Amino acid sequence: MHHSIFLRMEYLLVKFDERRGVLVDNVEEGFTNEVIELETGTHTISLIEPKDFTPELREIILRRTTSTKPKVIRFEKV
Amino acid sequence: MKKSEISRQIVLTLIITLFFLSGCAHYTINQPAKQVNQNDAYEFNNFTQPEDGEETFVILTFSGGGTRAAAFSYGVMEKLRTIHLHSKDKTILDDVDVISTVSGGSFTGAYYALFGDRIFEDYKAKFLYRNIEKELAYKLLNPVNWARLASPYYSRIDLASELYDETVFESLTFKALADKVRRPFLIINATNLYNGARFEFTGEQFNYIGSDILSYPVARAVAASSAFPFLLAPVSLVNYPFPPGYEESEADKMALQDYWVNKERYFRTANNLMFSDKTTHPYVHLMDGGLADNIGLRAIQDLYVRGGIRKKINDGKIKYLLVIVVNAKNAPPQKFDQNESPPGLATVGLKTCTISMDNYSFETIESIKQIFEERIKAQQYIESCQEHLDKHCRDSYELPSMSGGQMKLYVVDISFDNVSDKDEREFLKNLPTTFYLEKVEVDRLIEAGGRLLVEHPEFKAFLEEYR
Repeated sequence: MHHSIFLRMEYLLVKFDERRGVLVDNVEEGFTNEVIELETGTHTISLIEPKDFTPELREIILRRTTSTKPKVIRFEKV
Repeated sequence: MKKSEISRQIVLTLIITLFFLSGCAHYTINQPAKQVNQNDAYEFNNFTQPEDGEETFVILTFSGGGTRAAAFSYGVMEKLRTIHLHSKDKTILDDVDVISTVSGGSFTGAYYALFGDRIFEDYKAKFLYRNIEKELAYKLLNPVNWARLASPYYSRIDLASELYDETVFESLTFKALADKVRRPFLIINATNLYNGARFEFTGEQFNYIGSDILSYPVARAVAASSAFPFLLAPVSLVNYPFPPGYEESEADKMALQDYWVNKERYFRTANNLMFSDKTTHPYVHLMDGGLADNIGLRAIQDLYVRGGIRKKINDGKIKYLLVIVVNAKNAPPQKFDQNESPPGLATVGLKTCTISMDNYSFETIESIKQIFEERIKAQQYIESCQEHLDKHCRDSYELPSMSGGQMKLYVVDISFDNVSDKDEREFLKNLPTTFYLEKVEVDRLIEAGGRLLVEHPEFKAFLEEYR
């Protein structure tokens, strides 16, 4: 099945007090406090262990972002 | 016993033998996966590269086009083998991470992935110079095979697959590739006849059909990839129930929510999850990979956008990303537009198959170029914003850096259209799509592949930047 071919990438900044691996759709990919490039669409975002952060998981829709204006989400340390 | 009676008994025995042979003939059945992680060994993420080879990520894609495509891609590999990057001991070919192949290109890609540098010793004799079409025709003329072909579970593609298995791929299965562990990771592409979706021979894809890829013969994957419509029948696979403990991935669950946001992601996932309905879709029938993507670039696009390459970029592992697309698209002269009466069914049928393949190939190459350009611009925006801030703000503010940093990306698209000499270009473009070419034609294709690689401006830019 052939679909639209001109794909776009989106940009996400996960803020956290320290550098930590980010879980995108349950796969470790990129780090906190860096702009991560991802596919347009719905993703679950969390951090790798230890589980010392809140919320445990965020579900986000990435759309119409740029590298200089990424979607920003924050995890707080507990 | 009378002579006529003996003859009658011989004929009867022959008929009974043929009847049983026909009943027994069955294509090689793929095996069910017994455990949920059984296919992990043949997934991209489990293939490694030495540390010094990781930062230069090299991808080759080989198009369809019979022996023409096999020889052209061989020529590119032969040249890559002579160009050194890191040290005198290591060539760009040693640094290749992924090879994605279709149809004729699958023979060369699979042979290299299985046997490594041995390809430069025996592949010409084993495949490129051979008249595969004639050998297949002889097999078809063998009365034993007539009986086998009478079986509804055995067809011409199974004969072809046996020939490739015995004479080219030494009866090896995907386990032989998985056992190597070291890259290049080979992706052989076919097309699911049911919905026209790309079907790749990888562990990830086989998970969706509950099947074990490790026991599957490489030759059958190559046969599926090159099963050109009408000439060859589809290759069939059984869609098995999932092994105990199987769970849908998080990424697939998310993708199903994206119908309105990202239809490409949604449909790619929906096409794979279609196999979850084992009752409605108990079998998969595969044809030439070129029907979905004749240059093998779609698999790379998927890895770049959402797969293992994306992860490596975001983890900051890749500094140079080089994609070499070897496209053996031909354009033999046609005369049907000189007649007022429209072309016949055969011409229309062939054009219907090939026009969409060629158009789609062009757009896919442009798409990957565009997505690389966007990445480069995204890096530049952050860099220029930071420069602006440094220049105009008293208290310097550091923008968050981009994962993967200032990556360099190159797409080297090699095709006969790149040939500057008109006679040479026409000669190459006129070569037919067959599994037999004259030796001199094969040699000219090999030479052209290597030459077009080193002449390509993007390849020159890559070498200059790297060195």
